[in-house]
Amino acid sequence: MSSSEKIAIAAHLHVLLRRKTGRVTDTEWMACNPEYAQEVIRLAHQKAAEGGHDDLGLLADRLEAAMALPERPAARPLAQRVSEAVRAPAAHAPGARPAAALDAGGPGPGPGRLGVLDALRPGATRYVSGLR
Amino acid sequence: MNDKRLVALFWWLWAFMGLVSLNAQAQEMPTPPAVAAAVAAPAPLSQPGLVRADSLSGADTGWMMTATALVLLMTLPGIALFYGGMVRRKSVLNVMACVVALCAIVSLLWFAVGYSLAFTPGSGALGAVLGGGGRLWFSGLNYVQEAQLVAVSHLAPHIPESVYAMFQLTFAIITACLVVGAFVERMRFSATLLFMALWTVAVYVPVAHWVWEPGGWLARLGALDFAGGSVVHINAGVAGLVCAYALGPRKGYGTEPFSPFNLGLTMAGAGLLWVGWFGFNAGSAVAADGRAGLAMAVTHIAASAGALSWMAAEWLARGRPSLLGLCSGLVAGLVAITPGAGYVTPGAALVFGLVAGVACYWGATGLKRLLKADDSLDVFGVHGVGGIVGSLLTGVFASKSISGVEGSVLTQALGAGSVMLYSLVMTALLLWVTSRFVSLRVGEAAEIDGLDIDQHAERLGT
Repeated sequence: MSSSEKIAIAAHLHVLLRRKTGRVTDTEWMACNPEYAQEVIRLAHQKAAEGGHDDLGLLADRLEAAMALPERPAARPLAQRVSEAVRAPAAHAPGARPAAALDAGGPGPGPGRLGVLDALRPGATRYVSGLR
Repeated sequence: MNDKRLVALFWWLWAFMGLVSLNAQAQEMPTPPAVAAAVAAPAPLSQPGLVRADSLSGADTGWMMTATALVLLMTLPGIALFYGGMVRRKSVLNVMACVVALCAIVSLLWFAVGYSLAFTPGSGALGAVLGGGGRLWFSGLNYVQEAQLVAVSHLAPHIPESVYAMFQLTFAIITACLVVGAFVERMRFSATLLFMALWTVAVYVPVAHWVWEPGGWLARLGALDFAGGSVVHINAGVAGLVCAYALGPRKGYGTEPFSPFNLGLTMAGAGLLWVGWFGFNAGSAVAADGRAGLAMAVTHIAASAGALSWMAAEWLARGRPSLLGLCSGLVAGLVAITPGAGYVTPGAALVFGLVAGVACYWGATGLKRLLKADDSLDVFGVHGVGGIVGSLLTGVFASKSISGVEGSVLTQALGAGSVMLYSLVMTALLLWVTSRFVSLRVGEAAEIDGLDIDQHAERLGT
């Protein structure tokens, strides 16, 4: 499941919790931090049982299921995909470094690129040193 | 000097100048026989003068009045929304207040001295750099109903001079307001007003004379600038960059994210800019004719190409096309086509837009990092770079069949370079002069609280 889908569910739960219980939560943090999400889910179930809010309980179940799914890698810029494709044959050429060495940084977005959560999370690089 | 004393000084000077002017106008008002003699033998005008009212073109006059309203719409509310949406929530009202106040100040300065010094011929050698005093306080912009005579400019003999002066005023207003984007969220409101008033008279007015009055030295040299690529955009871009350096970066710049208040407002502002630019460029034909129609077409093509070009560059480089990128790109295309609008073909306009979109994207990102200035809303990156690109491309693509003149890249580079140098030096000087009267920057606590509450005691609603 992509991070933007998790954010959508978290945002819905955020709205319902606020409307029905007055509790304010952090949507972005909920979608990216499993511990925080688990605590919000526990709270939502508790409030659902206390107040008879079935929709709150259902949404908490949906978030729980979403958080259990592995994160789909964020979309990579076309320019980077092209440059990696160009570099790939060179990596297999005789005398070239093993491909694994190029992937030492691990999967996921590389430095300087923006995933959905990266752009919204506190401390993100978006809007630091410029708007564009 | 504190802000209140500064305001009082303004008003005393203004009142004194007004009294002197009213006296001068009473002496200059022409008597009917003198007017009749002056227009008895019509000849091509080399300076503003009176003509018979029936020699005017109703269509041209109507279009120019419409174009004037369109260009004013670009500033009020175009620029106010465009810039207001990009700053942080706590300084949105300050940006909007700056735009409204500058509109009023520049208007009165234009009425008092600006129009005359920019758009009338100067005397002697000084005429190449500055106009004359014949139209100070709009003196001589007469309409004599009894004799059916009306004042016209030698630059626009088919429309009333009052309309032409108002049209040019809207250009002075938007230029001053564009500069604001470079120093938002930290410049004191009183300093903004004083500095931009000085800048309009000492920088914008002479440059407009150099480029647009036939006696100006760049006009004589053959530099082409149909609607203000150098006068408006390069000028404002360089001034903004100098302001950004002089004021220093905002607190937290480079370490904290400065989230824009509402990019929806920015989009609404960009839309108004796009529509208003038809008045800006097609109005600069000063007639409702084929050249104006062509200017309108090339304006639209360049804006579209600029938006898509920036979008593509951003998509390739960062993985996602942003709304702010699209808005910035369309402005980049519009800026670039401005100097060439009445000189180039629609095919060339496509090139203007495509090149400007990529160049301005680099200007607002890569070049910005190189320059290390907190040019907050990328005035230089978009207007400076876009103006330079447009001025140079005008030298490449200007078509003799459209305008009767041919472009030269060298002359265009000389024109753009001269404006950049003059704007750089004078802006630095005027900032120093302003700092002698009032401190340029708000205090650290005020910056943290936001300029809305500190400078205006107002807050945005919830």
